[in-house]
Amino acid sequence: MSNQPIVNEFGLGPISCHAFNQDRSELAVCFNSNVVSIFRQSGGSWTLSSTLAEHDKPVTSIDWAPKSNRIVTCSQDRNAYVWTLDGQKQWKPTLVLLRINRAATFVRWSPEEDKFAVASGSRCISVCYFEEDNDWWVGKHIKKPIRSTVLSLDWHPNNVLLAAGCADMKARVFSAFIKGIDKKPAPTPWGEKLPFNTVCGEFSSGSGGWIHGVAFSPDGNSLAFTGHDSTITVVDQASGSVQTIRAPYLPYVSVLWLNESQIVAAGHDCAPHLFEKKGNEWSFSASLDSAVKKADVGTSARDTFRRMASRAQATATNDTEVHTHHQNTINSIRAFSGSRDHVEQFSTSGIDGKLVIWGTGLSRGMGNLHL
Amino acid sequence: MSFRKIDIDALEEDALGQDELDFQEIGELRPQHEVESQVNNRAQEVRSLLQRGNAAGALTTSLQDPPYGRNFGVAKARNTQTVMEVLNSIKVAEVPQLVKTLGPQEQDVLMKYLYAGMAAPEQNNSGVLLAWHEKLTEVAGQGCIVRVITDRRTV
Repeated sequence: MSNQPIVNEFGLGPISCHAFNQDRSELAVCFNSNVVSIFRQSGGSWTLSSTLAEHDKPVTSIDWAPKSNRIVTCSQDRNAYVWTLDGQKQWKPTLVLLRINRAATFVRWSPEEDKFAVASGSRCISVCYFEEDNDWWVGKHIKKPIRSTVLSLDWHPNNVLLAAGCADMKARVFSAFIKGIDKKPAPTPWGEKLPFNTVCGEFSSGSGGWIHGVAFSPDGNSLAFTGHDSTITVVDQASGSVQTIRAPYLPYVSVLWLNESQIVAAGHDCAPHLFEKKGNEWSFSASLDSAVKKADVGTSARDTFRRMASRAQATATNDTEVHTHHQNTINSIRAFSGSRDHVEQFSTSGIDGKLVIWGTGLSRGMGNLHL
Repeated sequence: MSFRKIDIDALEEDALGQDELDFQEIGELRPQHEVESQVNNRAQEVRSLLQRGNAAGALTTSLQDPPYGRNFGVAKARNTQTVMEVLNSIKVAEVPQLVKTLGPQEQDVLMKYLYAGMAAPEQNNSGVLLAWHEKLTEVAGQGCIVRVITDRRTV
């Protein structure tokens, strides 16, 4: 594994979301449009193998179930489709009854792949499961106490608990227990009796801001979330501690746990940043983008304007280059290789239309990062 | 058609309104006279600290427990004035050191007051505020500025 990030450029426009299949030989991407493109890896590059065109508004999220090889997509057209390969190796869509009246924003398969959850702007989460009797995917709504658009979701490894980040500045943990599909889960720090829509926790960072990303820790006992106030909050439900890190950078959009003591977050600063737990304290550790050259903090707005005024300039001649692999906001981080509790590589995609695969250096046996 | 200006929640009975958001972020508001007397007491305390030459103490005291909430206009203006007095009385050379001693929460509150001060250029010396802004941004980064924008607890 090389330490240098692998940059894939498609040149087809901003990437709104991406998902890999199980062996990472195929990739589903949406270039900010109503179609999803499936690429297949061939000789180090990606070639288009098929397109999934059924939505009629921009696709907002994709997830690819590794074991059952099914893709679920959701879109601003308020629909979600489950795509399965038929005998002729063609992807066939099945409509899901979401019953929402605003855009669907985010979708994720549950770990067992027998359910998926769709977040939406109609202030609810639709937890969808397959109803054999009707041969149909149906959704059950988690409504209370969501007050605004749900922006992100993450499943607990027990297949029952669901974390949601919301534009009402709260991150919440719900039970998405479906009778007849789920068996009674083992007790976790989040609770023992978990009927559908139980609120197991409600958290905020304290300084406002939409919650952009949520993620359960590998064992599911902790929750990390990040908001538009440039903070990362880590909730350890077992000990009851809630720690908010006020980052000095632009807001993060997406978070991923590499292992129990490392979290990566990326967003408007265009680079993945690593947060580490030392003792019981979480803190910012490093930017994983070695190409990063810190912006010249010595130049204040005042100096810039003074210089501009002295030269009668209308625009600043400052170095406006972005010294990172991504040239614009990163909107999604996903695990690429390794296991849930030991991620070795992860992928990021962003508005600059690039998809970058990063090594964490963890496969070398130590938690030392090769920056 | 200016569809962006359409109030899409107009027909929504259960829309998330400003009052609810304020309550969620700020909580139950204290009585007005209590907040105002607290702010006035603090102004006196800060002034006496400044007279004794304790600039660091005056700065942290002035940034404590700011009045939040929409109907505290008078108290907010008074408190902003208190903070401005402190900022104006500190020498520029001391600013970087002082900013570093503040905790992350205090840095965020200070940034709020810097912007509040710059919103009234006829009352405050923007040059001083910009100098503070520069030093504070060096320490607390852009994240601190972003938090001023997202936080509903305005000063």
